[in-house]
Amino acid sequence: MSHAQTPHARRSHPDRGHPDTLHAADTADGDTPGAPAPGTSDVGDRIDVGLQRILKRETRSSRAGMAGLAAALVIAACVYALLESALRAIGQPPWLIDPQTAAERLTALPGGTSPLLLGALGGVVAMVGLIFFLNAVLPGRKSRHLLQDPRAGVVVDDEVIASALARAARTAANVTQEQVMVVVSQRLVVVNVRPTSGVPLREERILAAVEDELQRMAPSPMPSVRVNVATSGVIGA
Amino acid sequence: MNGTPHVLNRILIGILGLKLLAIGILLMLLATVPAVGRWWQGWSTGLWEHAKYLSEQTRIPGREESWLWIAAAAVLVVLIVLMVAWVSQQGKGRANLIVSEYDDARTPGDVNIGGNLAEQALKAALAERADLAGVTVATYEVNGRPGLRVRVQPRQGVSPHLLAADISRLVEALDLVVGRKTPVLIHIGAGARTRFSKAERVR
Repeated sequence: MSHAQTPHARRSHPDRGHPDTLHAADTADGDTPGAPAPGTSDVGDRIDVGLQRILKRETRSSRAGMAGLAAALVIAACVYALLESALRAIGQPPWLIDPQTAAERLTALPGGTSPLLLGALGGVVAMVGLIFFLNAVLPGRKSRHLLQDPRAGVVVDDEVIASALARAARTAANVTQEQVMVVVSQRLVVVNVRPTSGVPLREERILAAVEDELQRMAPSPMPSVRVNVATSGVIGA
Repeated sequence: MNGTPHVLNRILIGILGLKLLAIGILLMLLATVPAVGRWWQGWSTGLWEHAKYLSEQTRIPGREESWLWIAAAAVLVVLIVLMVAWVSQQGKGRANLIVSEYDDARTPGDVNIGGNLAEQALKAALAERADLAGVTVATYEVNGRPGLRVRVQPRQGVSPHLLAADISRLVEALDLVVGRKTPVLIHIGAGARTRFSKAERVR
């Protein structure tokens, strides 16, 4: 149990220390008459609207990487075409292939190349296209949850939630860190525990501990919890 | 939190994906179905003849080449510029000031408060916490208004809601100092630094 308590104790320390430096500065500032009270209702509403939008954007992928890749692809193709057509425009010999020859070969297509090569090329291009297309069409939800907070918008990576729940499960089951694995997805938390050989585990205690931690965390959307206790134990843990 | 154009990204990536998909399927059909090959030869040869006829018509006076080549080159240059502009839109939106006001009634002149103030105050307040592996604070512009993004990487096993409450209290203290409420996003994330660090526990 001491496991769960120590982070608490440690966490509360900087709280006492540091905001004070901020508070001290503000009392000097805030006492001046006529200083604007932060957060009049109008400003608060505007913040809420802006924050909702930010939170919505934060839980979705921005696809910035894919966009860069797509742009690079288009730019490379354009630069090559530009080179060849510029060479053609100033009447120089082509670099790789003359646009006219290229067009003539394209019109004659099934002939001139082996069907195997053509099919493979088509397959690769279609696959790349499919990846781009699915990336654009699928929702692209990031594995993150939102937490309630009166002042700020809070997004938490599922990995952080998982490690917090793993700590709760570990302290409840009295096993080592390596014996617990937690997988968090949008609507489900799966806690896998491997008991120490010879020491019985009470599943409902683990479930209660994890659910209690989850209730206090209150992520949205709220996932449900499932605990799996492995049938084989670990020796010497 | 930044100004990456999500919708534009989806649309452009989708268009490119569909085009590549269509080309790929056409190539595969050409390789496997003879009837498609015959149709393609007829259709594309017609198109090519038409293009050749056009380029005959648009010859530059006194020279062999058609000005269509120059037009095509110009179109390509425009396309490249557009693509570069698109890439430069990704991840933009960093701001320098968290407060910028002009109110002569109360104080003569403008009041500007740099984003560095908030960034460094929050960073310093969080620096000594043993349960954090990393803190990044940045100012962004959201809908034309400045906002703060606080990204913390807690060590394994730290309860995110307690951490969020603590940071939120720091932000409220900052509100009093600055005198304005700015939108704040707290991102509690995991990264390589937290994954390989020790869990928060008794040693």
